[in-house]
Amino acid sequence: MIAQNFEYETPSTLEEALELLADGAKALAGGMSLIPLMKLRLAVPERVVDLRRVPGLNSIRVAEGQLHIGAMVTHYELESTPLVRRSSPLLAAAAASIGDVQVRNLGTLGGSIAHADPAADYPAALQALEAVIRIAGKGGERAVSAAEFFVDTFTTALEPGELVVEVSVPVEAAGTGVRYEKCEQLASGFALVGVAARVAKKGGKVSMARVGVTGLAGSSYRAKNVEALLEGTTGSAQDVTRAAAAVAEGKEANSDIHASADYRAHLARVYTARALRAALGTAG
Amino acid sequence: MKIHGSHRLPVGRERAYALLQDPEILAACMPGCEALVKVDEDLYEMKMKMALAAISGQFAGKVRIGDRNPVESFRLIVEGTGKIGFMKGEGLLRLREEGAETEVAYEGDVHVGGTIASVGQRLLDTTSKMLIKRFFGRLGERAQ
Repeated sequence: MIAQNFEYETPSTLEEALELLADGAKALAGGMSLIPLMKLRLAVPERVVDLRRVPGLNSIRVAEGQLHIGAMVTHYELESTPLVRRSSPLLAAAAASIGDVQVRNLGTLGGSIAHADPAADYPAALQALEAVIRIAGKGGERAVSAAEFFVDTFTTALEPGELVVEVSVPVEAAGTGVRYEKCEQLASGFALVGVAARVAKKGGKVSMARVGVTGLAGSSYRAKNVEALLEGTTGSAQDVTRAAAAVAEGKEANSDIHASADYRAHLARVYTARALRAALGTAG
Repeated sequence: MKIHGSHRLPVGRERAYALLQDPEILAACMPGCEALVKVDEDLYEMKMKMALAAISGQFAGKVRIGDRNPVESFRLIVEGTGKIGFMKGEGLLRLREEGAETEVAYEGDVHVGGTIASVGQRLLDTTSKMLIKRFFGRLGERAQ
């Protein structure tokens, strides 16, 4: 189908873009979710603001131990840029596992997280990385943690008129092991369940464990109970299995034609164990 | 699609039951509800404007209340049609006293059709749960 008529704007400054957004316009990044929805006429915005000419949203830089990524950086840039692969292999891995190559060439980090699909890949990694998301609005800028940003299905901390401008994650310390494991729904590439893990060891014990989960519930989350069960142990196969068993506790698992709630919870336990084992294998 | 779940309201059962039958309160708490007008005993006409992610659509429909068993349970029958799809649902709501609070358990069957269902199948369950949670969240705030 063809989208309903709409006005198209390509502002060349952030201020201009924010002005248009405050006026009720819809932001367009890579268009991998918005354009199909518009063609199906499920989304019928009167005015679309294409962000491609807004300067400063395409940068990738490292400063003070943090990797800062502009909202318009594409999935492909994240998976292929040496600086990202080195500084945050977990984020690069999550980007590499998204959809297909066409989607990764056009889709952006900011667009994906602002859309907040409950089965998207980035949220798992961003939760495990304790990422900080910088948001701009007409009233100024603010920063929120990934845990605060992802509120619920298609719901984020973004207020109307606000825009994601940058995502910051820590530059991974040497010796930290990371892994993103997902069970994907083959037709869409979205995660039935996706688990991102980061672990570090000190003196033979797990000194740090971070686990982010996507696809299981209405929103991504950090599985703090799993982290707590694993930290302080030697990270043996038994320790991993016991910790991973807690990943779906207290969560209401999604159910759809592809996977029932029980099956999803089971997948979450299996993929958490896999991700932790693989991450521990490279930690040292 | 079968749906079920439960939510807690921070009020006693009589008050909770009354709130759930009050069209003004319901209209204020239902996500996207623009109007809820009584057309007959236990029958209401509803207008909704849903905006979720980039998706937006207007729906017009009816809400019917049946099988009233005051303060214990009632049945809710909802149907709506819009450009992007249609939905039909029926559910039984049971109220149980939990100290000074009330637990509302719902169980029902929802059918969604049209464009929204053909492309959004993967997201219907999580989205409907999110909307129900939002409804009870707002209702809980109003109740206090």
